[in-house]
Amino acid sequence: MLKIIIIDDDDIMVFLQRKIFQRCGLAKDPNSFNAATAAIEFFKCEEINQHFLIFLDINMPEMNGWQFLDILKEMKISKNVFVIMVTSSIDCYDKEKAGSYKNVIDFMEKPVSIKNCNWIKEYVMLKEFFPN
Amino acid sequence: MPYKSDSLHILVIEDQLGDFILIKNYLKKEQNNTRISRAVRFMEAENLLKSSTFDAILLDLSLPELDDRKALVKKVVLLANKSPVIVLTSFSDTEFGVKSLALGISDYLLKDELNAAQLSKSIHYGIERKRIESQLMESENKYKNLFDSSPLPMWVLERCSCRFLSVNAAAVDLYGYSREEFLGMSIKNLWAGIDETETEILNLIRKDGFFKLNISHIKKNREIIHLKIQSNPIIFDGKEARVALANNITASLEAKRALKNSEQRFKALVQDGSDLVMILNFDGNLTYVSPSSKLVIGITAEVLINYNLFEFIHEDDVNQVKDSIAMLQSKRRIQIPSYRIRTSKNKWKWIETILTNLYDDTSVNGIVANSRDITEFVKQEKELMESLKRYNIVEKATSDTITDYDMQNDVMHYNEGMELMFGYTQDQISTKGSWWDDKVHPEDAVRVKNKVNQVYEKGHGNLQVEYRFRCADGNYKYILDRTYLVTDEQGEPLRMIGSMQDITEIHNYIETIERHNNRLKEIAWTQSHVVRAPLSRIMGLIDSLENFENMDDQAQLLSHILTSARELDGIIRKINSKTTESISQSPIC
Repeated sequence: MLKIIIIDDDDIMVFLQRKIFQRCGLAKDPNSFNAATAAIEFFKCEEINQHFLIFLDINMPEMNGWQFLDILKEMKISKNVFVIMVTSSIDCYDKEKAGSYKNVIDFMEKPVSIKNCNWIKEYVMLKEFFPN
Repeated sequence: MPYKSDSLHILVIEDQLGDFILIKNYLKKEQNNTRISRAVRFMEAENLLKSSTFDAILLDLSLPELDDRKALVKKVVLLANKSPVIVLTSFSDTEFGVKSLALGISDYLLKDELNAAQLSKSIHYGIERKRIESQLMESENKYKNLFDSSPLPMWVLERCSCRFLSVNAAAVDLYGYSREEFLGMSIKNLWAGIDETETEILNLIRKDGFFKLNISHIKKNREIIHLKIQSNPIIFDGKEARVALANNITASLEAKRALKNSEQRFKALVQDGSDLVMILNFDGNLTYVSPSSKLVIGITAEVLINYNLFEFIHEDDVNQVKDSIAMLQSKRRIQIPSYRIRTSKNKWKWIETILTNLYDDTSVNGIVANSRDITEFVKQEKELMESLKRYNIVEKATSDTITDYDMQNDVMHYNEGMELMFGYTQDQISTKGSWWDDKVHPEDAVRVKNKVNQVYEKGHGNLQVEYRFRCADGNYKYILDRTYLVTDEQGEPLRMIGSMQDITEIHNYIETIERHNNRLKEIAWTQSHVVRAPLSRIMGLIDSLENFENMDDQAQLLSHILTSARELDGIIRKINSKTTESISQSPIC
């Protein structure tokens, strides 16, 4: 079972992503956090054998996407977490930086579209979680 | 007739009493105070002769206990020592009497013809002869001693064979041959290298008359010695001989030779040396000019000596030379600063002269001037000065600090840049290499050291390195250092000469630009996020509207689009004002 999690401080963006994920059948009710710190707290309590797919925004106040990744990679649960960076930026520097994190499997520019969601299902490392 | 006033003591060896009385009477008759002792047998005579001395001994040859009369005579003569022995014989023994003369007796008398006068005469004659004989022997001994103990080597040669007949102790000492070895040798064995004059010398030896000559001899240890020999002809043991006196002159000859060598060397130094040596008086008149004048100024000594030295000196320099010479009145030695002298080709040569007042030396009686051609040196010096001048101008013209590090002595020199650029006072600046090392920023020190070492290892070339250098006030300046390594012929590093250029301003400028760039980048990044956030939202919302029909929350979507559009508008207005602000803060280019 793959749990979908959205981390983004933009409420409209979260709303929009939830809608799209439901529509395209990626997740019925994805968890969402509007602060990365809250997400960290959540992961601390999660079971180790649970798999997650996080849609992570980069630019957030308090703790940004990179800082979140830095903490995550030190956690035990880290190996079962897949991250897709979602950013409104079109800066190629961010894309390069994302490649240096093991957890990151893809990098998307906002807005996340239905087309994007369908691609996600086809990812090799995720395929086992989407039988059809 | 008495011959001698002193009383004589006479021993008479006579066994027959009758004969003794007769002899006694004869003796007393001639001289009344004569003391007479009688020995009857030889033993008795022997004892008497050993215990006391007699003026004469009368020996009767008919003693009964001695058959061998010859042995008897010999024994008595020996015992009598210096006293005469007179033998008394009978007619029948005349022959023996004659023979016994050869045994050392002084006379023999026939008993039968004996009378007082004859006996007395024989006794006195014998005594006198013995006295003269002993005097002669003494004199001979004296001369023999003179020969033997002479401190000068002497020898006697047989004239025809040249063989040694006798040598003295000094000769044995000098040559190292023993007396016995000498007596088996000829004088020719001593000669060393006289093949050409051999006959001449042999002639001198054979001829009569005195001669002296100098000759080289070879000693037993093969050492060659030089001798002065004086030779006189003598008769030695009945042979024609020569006595020679030798004087060892080896040492004095060698001393003479050494003196001659030293004289020649000195002469060569003065005459053939490249220095011009002159003797002159206080007025500049010359009394001696060394032949090297031809070499130095192209004028021969014979010509130059007729002139006054001052005539050859450059008019700008002549007073200075005259002043120097005048100073010799009170000083013994003076070095004249370099001056110009005219050559045979009417050109000028630079000369350096040392003057020595040797008026007190009668063999010189003047001022000795020792001059050296330094034209080449002066030319080089001039070039060097020009180059130095150029260097000094460059050094002044540049705003750089010039460093000159003598690596072998660990001495570092700086131009005034060290003061002007870094604010150090002369007192603060040390010439030690470590002083400089200490001023390099700790973060740059290792890098600089490595660079320098690379140049050392390569043994040549330029070094260009940037670092921070601490000023007197503790601040650091950015320096671009260009240094050149100077090596000796073997490639060993000698000096490092370099310039330190202050690039702090350029560096700060670049730093400011970089900082600015970063800020702009930051702005761009942030803004791309901020601007695209509402935009992407709007795009996402519209995408939803398009793709999902019959959405129950369409009104909510439209409301989100409106909110986002307003947000976007606000952001764009903000960017505009911020960028204007940032441009006004940029450094003036």
